[in-house]
Amino acid sequence: MDFIIHPQGVVIPMVDQLPNLGREEEMLKAMGLQNIDDLFADIPDDVRFKGPLPLRPPQSEEEILSDARRLLGANIAMGSRTSFLGAGLYRNYIPASVFQLVTRGEFLTAYTPYQPEVSQGMLQAMWEFQSLISELVGLPIANLSLYDGSTAAAEALTCAVRVHNRKATQPNTVFVSALTPPDKMSVMENYCQGAEITIKTLEHNADGTLNLDSLKEAAGSCGVYLEQPNPLGVLDEGLTMTKEIIGEHTALIVGAQPVSLGMVEAPGHYGADIVVGEGQPLGSPVTAGGPLYGIFACSKPYLRLMPGRIVGRSIDVDGNEAYCLTLSTREQHIRRHRATSNICTNETLIALMGAMHMALLGPEGLHDLAYRNAAACQKAKEILVDTPGVRIVHNASHFNEFAIEIEGSAEACLAYLDGNGIIGGFDLGRWYPSITNQILITTTDQTTEQDIEALSAQLSMWTSHQGVSA
Amino acid sequence: MSHLFNHNGAPNTGYSQPPSIETAVKPSIPAGLVRRQQARWPRLSEPEMVRHYTWLSKRNFGIDTGFYPLGSCTMKHNPRVNEVIAQLPGIADIHPHQPEHHLQGLLSIYYEMQHMLEVCAGMDQVTLQPVAGAQGEFTAVRCIQEYFRLKGDTKRTKVIVPDSAHGTNPASAAMAGFEIVEIPSRVDGRIDLDALRAVADETTAAMMITNPNTLGLFEADISEASQIVHDAGGQMYYDGANFNAILGITSPGLMGFDAVHFNLHKTFSQPHGGGGPGSGPIGVKAHLAEFLPGPLADRRTPTAAEQSTAVDEFWYHWREPAHSIGKVQQWHGNAGAVIRCWAYYRRYGSGLTTMSEHAVLNANYLRHAIHKAAREEGVDHLFVDGAETDVAKHEFTLSLQPAKEQLGVSAMDVAKGLLDRGYMAPTVYFPLVVPECMMIEPTETESKDTLDTFAQHFAEVLKVDAETLHAAPTTTPVRRVDEVYAARNLCLRHPYDE
Repeated sequence: MDFIIHPQGVVIPMVDQLPNLGREEEMLKAMGLQNIDDLFADIPDDVRFKGPLPLRPPQSEEEILSDARRLLGANIAMGSRTSFLGAGLYRNYIPASVFQLVTRGEFLTAYTPYQPEVSQGMLQAMWEFQSLISELVGLPIANLSLYDGSTAAAEALTCAVRVHNRKATQPNTVFVSALTPPDKMSVMENYCQGAEITIKTLEHNADGTLNLDSLKEAAGSCGVYLEQPNPLGVLDEGLTMTKEIIGEHTALIVGAQPVSLGMVEAPGHYGADIVVGEGQPLGSPVTAGGPLYGIFACSKPYLRLMPGRIVGRSIDVDGNEAYCLTLSTREQHIRRHRATSNICTNETLIALMGAMHMALLGPEGLHDLAYRNAAACQKAKEILVDTPGVRIVHNASHFNEFAIEIEGSAEACLAYLDGNGIIGGFDLGRWYPSITNQILITTTDQTTEQDIEALSAQLSMWTSHQGVSA
Repeated sequence: MSHLFNHNGAPNTGYSQPPSIETAVKPSIPAGLVRRQQARWPRLSEPEMVRHYTWLSKRNFGIDTGFYPLGSCTMKHNPRVNEVIAQLPGIADIHPHQPEHHLQGLLSIYYEMQHMLEVCAGMDQVTLQPVAGAQGEFTAVRCIQEYFRLKGDTKRTKVIVPDSAHGTNPASAAMAGFEIVEIPSRVDGRIDLDALRAVADETTAAMMITNPNTLGLFEADISEASQIVHDAGGQMYYDGANFNAILGITSPGLMGFDAVHFNLHKTFSQPHGGGGPGSGPIGVKAHLAEFLPGPLADRRTPTAAEQSTAVDEFWYHWREPAHSIGKVQQWHGNAGAVIRCWAYYRRYGSGLTTMSEHAVLNANYLRHAIHKAAREEGVDHLFVDGAETDVAKHEFTLSLQPAKEQLGVSAMDVAKGLLDRGYMAPTVYFPLVVPECMMIEPTETESKDTLDTFAQHFAEVLKVDAETLHAAPTTTPVRRVDEVYAARNLCLRHPYDE
C-alpha cells in the first residue's frame, strides 16, 4: 500500500482517491504560490481549526470492508430469520438484473439532468417511470418521485390546499385518517404547519373501515387523506364512495401500496384526485427505511401546483424525439420562496429501480406478485385463526397484513418470538398507545407456509405460557 | 431509439415467479375493489429489459463517463467499495422497527457519523434524519422556529437570505412559514454588512448563508455577520452545500453558526444517482439540540445481558429529544446513504483536511489554468472572473458577459460547446448575481492532467465561431432540446389512449 505522510503528520493510505497527492508543489508553483496554506489566506485566523481534526486515522479499502462486514453483520437481517414485520415497508423479491443495471456508472454517478443533451438516458427512464406509475394508479400525471411515502402524503396535503383553498368552506383544513401512523402524521404536521393548515382526523369503525358519517364533516375542506389498504391492512370498499361524499372541491388523496394494485382497483378509477404511496415495495430493498421513493400522481387540475420534478417528451432542433425537465417554474431554483416545494435532490435512482422492476413484471407479473402477497396473507389468516389464544381483530378483507390479538402484552409476546428466532410483526401499541395486545402481521412474496406454521407454533407456545388453553 | 412501451411479449416474460402458497379459500378482494383493467404496462423478457436500460445508460453522462465540473454539486468520484457495503444484508435487509439489539451495528455507525459531523462542523448534536439538503434546511429552520416558540418569542417571523443564496434556502424557510428578507450582495459578491444591519431586528428568526458563498469566495466578515444577527436575537444557519471547501480548516461552529445542514451526497460522496437519493443531516448547538427530529443514536455502558450482542464497549440505543419538532421522514433517514458516507469517511478519517485542501487546490489550479490557456489562445478578453479575488475556495465563477457582448455567444452556448468535447458543462446562470455566469467546481478527485486538458478545451471552445456554437452540441445523443416545445405541448407519459 502506498502511504503518504502529510505535513500534519497524518498517515494517508488514500493516493487512490486524490490523484494530485505529491503534485501540490508543482501546481502551487504554477500559480505563484508557496504552500497549500496560501490558498486559505482569506480565512481569518480566529475561525481556523488549531491542529488536526480529532478523528480516527484513515483506513484502506480492505480495512473498511472488513469493519463494515463486522458491524453490519451484527445487525439481524430480516432474511436471516422468519419475519412478519412490515407496517409500511415490504420486502418483496427484487430480480438480480435490477441491481446489476442500477449500479451502471452512467446512472449512478450522474446528477439532475440540467443538460438534457447528455442526460437522455435518465430523462427517458424517468418519463417511462411516470408513465408506469400513472397507469398503475389510474391518474394521468405522475412526477419522478418525492423522498418517501410520508413526504409524498404531506406534500399532497399542501398541494390540495393550494388548489382548493379559494372555494373551500373549510379553508386551510384537511382531514386525515385517524389510523395514520404517528410518524407519518408527524411529517404531515411539520409540512402543514408553515402554511397554517389544520389537520383534523377521520374516525374508523370497529371493523377497521372508514366511518362514512365522520367523512361527511370533511366536505368543504381542501382535502382528505386515506390509505388503501389502510394501516391495519384492511381493504376498505367504502373508499369508492368517498369522492361522492366530499364533493368535487375537496381533493381525495389516497395512499396506496403499489404491489396491491396488481389486484386492487387503481384509486384514480374510484375518484382519487391525488395518489401517493411508498414506492419501496416495487424495486427497492427496505434498507432500514431509506433511501425509498415516494409516489406522487394527480389529475390535471393539480398539475401546475404540484411538487417535484417532471419530465416531458419534446424534440431537439432537428425534430428528433428528446426528453427534458419541464414545468420548472413551480420549482425552488426558479421560483425561490414562492415555489410549490423546496425539493431539489429527490430519489431518482430508487425510482429507476422501481421502473426496472415494473418493466420486468409487466401486467401479469404484477398481478402474480400481488396474488403471492395476498395468498400468503390468506394462508396466515387460515392458520392463525385456529391457533390457540390468537384472534384476528378485523373481520374484513386484507391484502398482505392484518392485526391479531394475543394473550398478554404484545411487547412481551414479540420478545418471546424474537427469542425463538421469529421477527413476529409490529406492536400496534407503538402507533395506538391504548392498544396493548395487538400485533400487525405482514406477509410478502417471501413468506413461506413453513414460516407461518412456525409463527403459529410459537404463538401457541406463548399462549400456553400465559396459562390459557385452547 | 429503444422504447419501453414498444415491447409487448408474452405474459410473465420478465422474471419467473414461483407458485403462490396454496390456500383453502382464494384470497379475496371486496367485489367493488377488484381491479377491472390491468395496468397497460409493456411486457419485456429479461434480455430485452437489460438491453433497454443498457441502451439508456449509454445516453447518460456521469462522473464515470467524464469530467463533471458542475459547480455547487461537488461531483467527486464515488468509491465503489461503498456500493458493495451498501448491498450487504446487514443494511439492505433490515427494518427500522426492529428492536435495538437487532441493530447494534447500524446504531454504532449512526453514532460514529453523528460524532464525526459534530467534530467537523463544531456543533453539539447531529441528526441524520433529513434525506436531502433542502430537507435539512427545512428541518433546521423548523427547530429554530420551535426554539423561539418555546421561549414565547413569537415576533420572530423573518428569515434573512443573501440574493446569492441557493433557491432552496428561501423555499425551505417559506415552507416552514417564515417571511423572506433578501439582502443584496456587494459588487464583489460578498455579504453586505450594512445591508444586514439594516434588516436584522427583533423580527429576525435566522439568517441563512453558505460560506464559502455561492461564488466560491470565503466570507471573511462572517464572524461580524454572526455578531449582528446574534445581537438582534436571531440564529445563524449554515448552508453546508459548500462544506467540501473547509473540512478541518474552519467550521460553522468557529464562525458563530447555531445550525448547519450537510449534503452527504456532495461532501461525503453518496452517488448523486441522476438526481438522488441524497442525505441532509443537520447539526446544531446545544440550545437547539432538544428540538431535533428523533430518534438520535446514543450510547451507554451495556448491562450484563446486553454484553453478548454489543459490537464494542458500548450499548447503542435510540433517543428522542425532549422538545422534538417530530419527524421529516417516516423512518431513520436515508440509512443506505449514511452507510456509504461512513465508508467514505473511514477512508479519510482525520485526513479529511487533506481532501478539502485538494478540493481548493484543484479549483484554484483550474481557474489559473483556464486563464492561462485563454491568454495563450488569445481569448482572454471574452470572460472575466465572476468576482474579484486572489484565491477561490472549492469552486469559482466566470462571467461570459464579454463574449455575449462581443460575439453574441452566451454561457449556455459555451456550455453546449463543452458537451461536444466530452465534458459535462459547468453550472450556468447561477448565482444570479453574476451575468452570463459559469460556476466551475472540479473537486479533489480530478488529476492535474484532466484539469489542464479541460482548460485547453475551454479556451478552444471560445475560439469557435458563434454560429457553430449556437448550433452545438452536435455529437451528443440528441441536439439542443426544445424546452419551450416541451412546456407548450405537454407529454408527461406514454399516450396509452391513442
